[in-house]
Amino acid sequence: MARLRRPSKKSLGGLLAVGIVVGILFWGGFNTVMEATNTEKFCISCHEMHDNVYMEYKETIHYSNRTGVRAVCSDCHVPKDWTYKMIRKIQASREVWGKITGTIDTREKFEAKRLELARREWARMKASDSRECRNCHSFDSMNKESQKQRARKQHEMALEDKMTCIDCHKGIAHHKPEGMTEEDEE
Amino acid sequence: MKKTMIAGAVGALLALGAGGAFAAAPDWGKVEAKDITLFYPGVSPLEWIQKGTEHGGARALRKGETCADCHSDETADMGKKIASGQKLEPNPIPGKAPAIPVKVQAAHDGENLYLRFSWKQPAASGAAKMDEANPVKIAFMLESGGKVELADQSGCWATCHQDSRTMPGADDAKKKYVKGGSVAEGKFYDLYQWRSGENKGFNGHVADTRVMEGGTALVSAEGKQDGDTWSVVFTRKLAGGEGDVTLESGKSYNFGFAIHNDNSAGRYHHVSLGYKLGVDADGDVKAAKQ
Repeated sequence: MARLRRPSKKSLGGLLAVGIVVGILFWGGFNTVMEATNTEKFCISCHEMHDNVYMEYKETIHYSNRTGVRAVCSDCHVPKDWTYKMIRKIQASREVWGKITGTIDTREKFEAKRLELARREWARMKASDSRECRNCHSFDSMNKESQKQRARKQHEMALEDKMTCIDCHKGIAHHKPEGMTEEDEE
Repeated sequence: MKKTMIAGAVGALLALGAGGAFAAAPDWGKVEAKDITLFYPGVSPLEWIQKGTEHGGARALRKGETCADCHSDETADMGKKIASGQKLEPNPIPGKAPAIPVKVQAAHDGENLYLRFSWKQPAASGAAKMDEANPVKIAFMLESGGKVELADQSGCWATCHQDSRTMPGADDAKKKYVKGGSVAEGKFYDLYQWRSGENKGFNGHVADTRVMEGGTALVSAEGKQDGDTWSVVFTRKLAGGEGDVTLESGKSYNFGFAIHNDNSAGRYHHVSLGYKLGVDADGDVKAAKQ
């Protein structure tokens, strides 16, 4: 009894070691799986993404540009910070249900729903002050002198009016949805 | 005696007439030239430029910026995008020139304003002729005081609407107009045009509709083609009648111009953004006294 009540230091240490190893394996595995869902390969493994938004993104500067820097789906659509990333991943689990029930499994269904989906993403980006854009871009590091006249003017106005990237840059990586209203551009 | 008097009166009239028609043009070699690149605008009427869902600059326009503030350096690129049908042109014409760089010179002598436009003839597209009679037409418009809504910012766009003729689905009889157009209230654009085939100048205006005649300010409009270079000189009185903008020293006016090249008509022209013409005053194009 006394032996049971008082475990040896050796066995306690063993238990701790096993716990640490299991913890590392679990945590590592969890993160590996989560990171796997952040890859472009994963995102476009569904035809809904591959045939629609991915094809549009491939025409844009975020896919191909002179400096060879590419922003993949998750760079814009998944936060880098762990807490925000987890929240986003949990929200995104709805998309699994959408996939199972086929809410956008044809081009027609996708087009019918894309304004609603886009508005949801624009709202998320606006609420976070375009946090994912700002992982790479910032007004501080922008050399407006080397920008074209139009971009320079627009960025000066955006700074003045405390606007955020997504206020103007809707449609920067995908086609703009049909049926947008003036409120969408406010 | 009677004959002498009649001959004298006729002679005086002729001399006066000649004086009016052949006012002393300035030495253009000494007048500074402003380079303005006209571009092919496709279907981008006033309604389009104000539509935020399609024109990223609609917000800037609402804030009071001018078209030229954002676009003056890139009109040639805009022309390429539109003429090729990549944007704003549902009916692209193969071989249509995307842009026309023009030199603009202005001067006055206290009585008349002289405006000279020169440009190199772009290659012909070979498309069907819309205006058989006139291979080239050039027009300019003036507006005073920004009385027409958006005139200070958008130049000729304030007269260009989606329901005007040659716009998709528009009535063929509907011409240019300005919102609330009224000559009596000063809400109009003063319009001048020279047509190469007819070799004739026109002086009209754009108010509730566009009229090509009625103005009394135009003294002469003369154009010629030397090799591949066109030059057209308009002479107009600083003063004007009804439907003419009266020009005063020390003031600037809204100014825009357009070329119908390649026998084109209606919206198939090349246009400038909105600029300022300063008469002894600051402006994109300055008319100084000679």
